[in-house]
Amino acid sequence: MTASQIIGQILSGISRGMILFLISSGLTLIFSVMNILNFAHASFWLLGAYLTWTFWQILYSPNFGLWISIPLASLTMAAIGWIIEVWLVRRVYERPLTEQLLLTYGLALVIGDVIKLTWGVADRIVPKPKVVSGLMSIFGAPLPTYNLMVIILGVLVALGLWWLFYKTMFGRKVRASVFSREMISALGVPIHRIYAGVFVLSVFIAALAGGMQAPLSSITYGMDSTVIVECFCVMVIGGFGSLLGALVGSLTVGLIYAFAIMFVPRMALFLIFIVTIIILIVRPWGLFGTPMRV
Amino acid sequence: METPYKEMASVPILEVRELKKSFNGFEAISNLSYKLDPGELSAIIGPNGAGKTTLFNLVTGFHKVDSGTIFFKGKDITGLPLHVISRLGIARAFQVSNIYPTLTTYENVRQAIISQQGKTLNFYTPASRLAISQTVEILESCGVAAQANVLAGRLSQGDKKRLELAIALGTKPDLLLLDEPTAGMSGEETKEIMELVQRLNQEKYLTILFTEHDMSVVFGYARRLTVLHQGTMIADGTPEEVRINERVQTVYLGGEV
Amino acid sequence: MEDKARTLRSRWWLSLIIALSIVPPMVIGSFWIQVLTEILILGMFAISFNLIFGLMGQISFGQGAYYALGAYTTALMLTKTSMAFPLCMVAPIVVSGICALIFGFFIVRLTGIYFAILSLAFAQLVHSVIFQWYDFTGGDNGIQGIPSPILLKNPFWNYYFTLVIVSAALIVMWFITKSSFGYTMRAIRDNSNRTGFVGVNVRKHMLINFAIAGMFAGLGGSLWAVFNHSVSPDLANWTHSGVPIFMTIIGGPSYFLGPLVGSIIYTLLFVFVTPFTEYWPLIIGTLIIFIVLFFSGGIVGTLELKIRPE
Repeated sequence: MTASQIIGQILSGISRGMILFLISSGLTLIFSVMNILNFAHASFWLLGAYLTWTFWQILYSPNFGLWISIPLASLTMAAIGWIIEVWLVRRVYERPLTEQLLLTYGLALVIGDVIKLTWGVADRIVPKPKVVSGLMSIFGAPLPTYNLMVIILGVLVALGLWWLFYKTMFGRKVRASVFSREMISALGVPIHRIYAGVFVLSVFIAALAGGMQAPLSSITYGMDSTVIVECFCVMVIGGFGSLLGALVGSLTVGLIYAFAIMFVPRMALFLIFIVTIIILIVRPWGLFGTPMRV
Repeated sequence: METPYKEMASVPILEVRELKKSFNGFEAISNLSYKLDPGELSAIIGPNGAGKTTLFNLVTGFHKVDSGTIFFKGKDITGLPLHVISRLGIARAFQVSNIYPTLTTYENVRQAIISQQGKTLNFYTPASRLAISQTVEILESCGVAAQANVLAGRLSQGDKKRLELAIALGTKPDLLLLDEPTAGMSGEETKEIMELVQRLNQEKYLTILFTEHDMSVVFGYARRLTVLHQGTMIADGTPEEVRINERVQTVYLGGEV
Repeated sequence: MEDKARTLRSRWWLSLIIALSIVPPMVIGSFWIQVLTEILILGMFAISFNLIFGLMGQISFGQGAYYALGAYTTALMLTKTSMAFPLCMVAPIVVSGICALIFGFFIVRLTGIYFAILSLAFAQLVHSVIFQWYDFTGGDNGIQGIPSPILLKNPFWNYYFTLVIVSAALIVMWFITKSSFGYTMRAIRDNSNRTGFVGVNVRKHMLINFAIAGMFAGLGGSLWAVFNHSVSPDLANWTHSGVPIFMTIIGGPSYFLGPLVGSIIYTLLFVFVTPFTEYWPLIIGTLIIFIVLFFSGGIVGTLELKIRPE
């Protein structure tokens, strides 16, 4: 095990973690603000990946195709997310936990099959744009440039979210509604618009991650059901109400995965679950969550 | 568990010594010592935040004390879990009805009785065959026998309070802690409940300690009154003695007392 | 008067159910007999889930783990050992019960969403162990060609075998729900706080209930191994754990046999839909969404309201 191999694994783990963060951030937001655990969130991610592939197919431009496809797919998904929030999710905010879980679970099943219906079960591949398809050397370790871009994007989104929730009016309203829904309604703030906004934003980011995922590895039907479980693990480790927790949790899971794949490849998922279980036993509210939420 | 009155008379039924309890830096109980003799019908009053509910939470074992000791019938019960203390003979009725809404009134009371009898790990005997006479007796003594088959969630507020009391009685306590038993009740209902409380105290040797904001109830029924303020006791004695206590008058700003 | 009418109606329904479960296999074909068998097994699985959900008020998203453990125990014992068949049916109950006891010890310290997620995590753990342990469990391929006693190789007799075992299990579970333990579960569901105050060790009772549910799930898995002659790691996956939840919600969690009704609807739907389309998740997903949005209380609950609106 050379130093550069270790660094290479760390970087690979970080870029995997960043994709997980993009998906988990939305999951965390939806949970914090609306108290809904969205089983379908990884399905949004996968749908975003497939849409990116389709747009790329239509545009077919090796240099620019992806740069346009990804935002296009993300915006399309944002629109779809908005429709889903208004027509489906909105109706279960007041309902008991099982019904909320089942609704998003049913949604995950539906989206998964819609993907199968539209794109079939064959792997889809999107090549990386020429500009970022090379290798870079980070601390002596080779890292695909694209992966670095993913990492940078993750950091940018994290910073963007921090700015949004701590420096803007919208963000303040969202944080206030997390604290007390009744008070916010009473003050005349349109709760439904805030919830819709949070949902749409979360779906947008997940779709963005999906678009970024497409060139990273081939995309297949069924990826969403493994990824959503990893995202739950991220939320447990990081803490359910915390974006910072989502970031730390995602990187943790990404790194565990990267190193496990190297030494004990068959135990990679197993290790992630063990860590998740340990956290749930010892500190159920996660690294950054608040104890009251248990 | 009903201990004969004579045996109990020598030892205080409840004694707390130098209790301390803080929550997140806020000292809810600071160095409280208090004694309650068997057969008493006593009240604890104090402004909100004085520590009344916290005291009840500590005595019943719902919260752990930071320091100090609690004795029940002479036995040290500090640190014992909630359910163990309940089985030893301390019951509590809550201010906001803490009942089982999807069970009937009858089933609510029966559940308390079965729990106290330790029969909750019986997997085969239909529960409907257990504790029939005891359940009926308690339902009747609390005045909710007519609502026996009504779902508890559908009871009127007054009946819920009565059921609340019935559940507490179901555990055959020697000491009953009542959290504002007449809160939200009309004058008529208040009289009914407090007369019931008095009957329980006199006929069943049940030691009762209650908190109240309604001073007429306190002066009408309590034989002893303790005043808490900011986690400590500032007065203790008969209601008349406490009424003329200067410190108490200052604390209440000459209002209710 | 009303009570008598109610008991009479229940007796009528019960007779109908008994008739419906005994008679049809004598007149229908082998395929449909197998459908009925599957309905029974999954129905029992769902009712065992409902011990945790409807009776105790928590959602376990990981009952598939105990089902799978039961299935694999039977499968391994039947394929790799020559132990007597009855032992191969009893051992899985012990295995899944012990596992439920161990996992449950940690799970019952939580409630609500955390209970659900921890139960899910433990199930995924079991799934990944079964999936990866190729040498022992056959990994991804599962275990095929599970032998069963000659008589049971005939779907007709296997059905009655399953019926007897499931009926016995249902009777036991029914008694449990009617016992003081069952009412203690309802008390914990309604108000676990107060239940502690009346002298019940809530966690201990929840753990025992969780173990019981796990044992019956294991029994279901065991029956499945005998019926299906093969097992796969998918049985432990969270997607499979969703099946008893669907069935319970479809049928209605407030009624003891509600989940069985859900099993009938779900399984028959599956049987009718899958020959025509491979998009079963789409159909069932839409159905679930539909039911959640418009049929709170399940099919049985909605029917009850229509018959006797209160």
